Amino acid sequence: MLNEYQQVVERHRHRVYSFAHYSLRAREDAEDVTQEVFIKLWQHWRKIDQEKIGGWLMRVAHNAVIDKVRKGKSSKNGDSQQDAYAEVEDQGQVDDPGAEIDREEFRLQLQRAIQGLEEPFRSIVILRDIQGLSYVDIQECLGMSESQVKVYLHRSRRKLRENAELRALFESARNRSTASNKNQESNDSAESAANTE
Amino acid sequence: MTTHSKSTAATGKHGSGGGQDSQCYFVQLQIDSFLDGDLGSAQQDALLGHIKECADCSSELQFARLVHDAVLDLPLLNCPDGALEPINRLHNERSVQSSPWWQGLSDWFEQLPRSVRYAFPAVLAVAVTLWVLPADQQPAQPVNLIAEQVPPAAPDYTQADVLEALADLNTAITYLNEVSQRTETMIGGRFVVMPLQESLNASFQRLQDEESDHLSDDPI
Repeated sequence: MLNEYQQVVERHRHRVYSFAHYSLRAREDAEDVTQEVFIKLWQHWRKIDQEKIGGWLMRVAHNAVIDKVRKGKSSKNGDSQQDAYAEVEDQGQVDDPGAEIDREEFRLQLQRAIQGLEEPFRSIVILRDIQGLSYVDIQECLGMSESQVKVYLHRSRRKLRENAELRALFESARNRSTASNKNQESNDSAESAANTE
Repeated sequence: MTTHSKSTAATGKHGSGGGQDSQCYFVQLQIDSFLDGDLGSAQQDALLGHIKECADCSSELQFARLVHDAVLDLPLLNCPDGALEPINRLHNERSVQSSPWWQGLSDWFEQLPRSVRYAFPAVLAVAVTLWVLPADQQPAQPVNLIAEQVPPAAPDYTQADVLEALADLNTAITYLNEVSQRTETMIGGRFVVMPLQESLNASFQRLQDEESDHLSDDPI
């Protein structure tokens, strides 16, 4: 039994931790939630259907995160935010070296926006878009129908787009792009005029 | 709680009329389905056709795609090894302690398929029933009437007196059986066999008399 338990822990711990981390954005809180989830797994091991253990774990993690937020124990000091940022930076990928700063800033702001979402919008975005769970798994985790999950997912994304900071970053990048295009056009027209003369 | 700005369609920024605003609103509602690939080809064509003509909706789609891709790019974080150290320590301590003798049996039982675990009590009940039942259905041993029915000796009689009395009773029963058989024979002989015998004799006699009369009437 202990071996099976340890195998399940090894298989699911990253997912549980990742969910807690994106929800709470503090390493200590995410670790606390992860420990709590797997302690409950040990306590209820005999009663759990082993085939649905993934959904059970995410459901417990979801409830643990909600409890954590309600109790207001999530640490909001700058160090933990810095840890969270550094952790994502180490594990993420940067596509465009030229826009490196903007993308990293955008990603950081996006994480803040996700954490600022209300339930169940936050959990659905994390479970579906970040962790890639199927609609069926999310159904089991959150106790919703598939159509409800889809509706809430679309609303979650719309709420993210309504985030002012994210939109400001996008608008500033677009304005810079527009300005650089205009400069390029004026340079091109000046060159063509010079060539004509 | 972050402040948020409304989409261009909702604020009517486009300003070219209610119809265009409603179309922009409808298109922007479909953006997420478009990004998920859930729109049909006709709907996609309609959406892309509007996007080409509407700068606001084009910008909105671009922003939506940026956010959508950025969320999908967020990595699945690795749980630090130290996060579960207290749990691992607890389990290591538990495994060092000697487990009771039945724990191994319980663990082995838990590893069996569920169907076997649930069938086991039923099989056990059937086995016990089959083991107990034949004892009830064994052929009855010849009962020694005297031995079975020896009552506890009355205070005034000894065991030998009672046995002698029962032996006398057996003798009487045997005699009555014989008498009954003879009686049956006697009754049968007197009231059944003898009359039948006499009737047959009379019939034979009559036949003989008729033949002798016939012969005497012969002219030769």
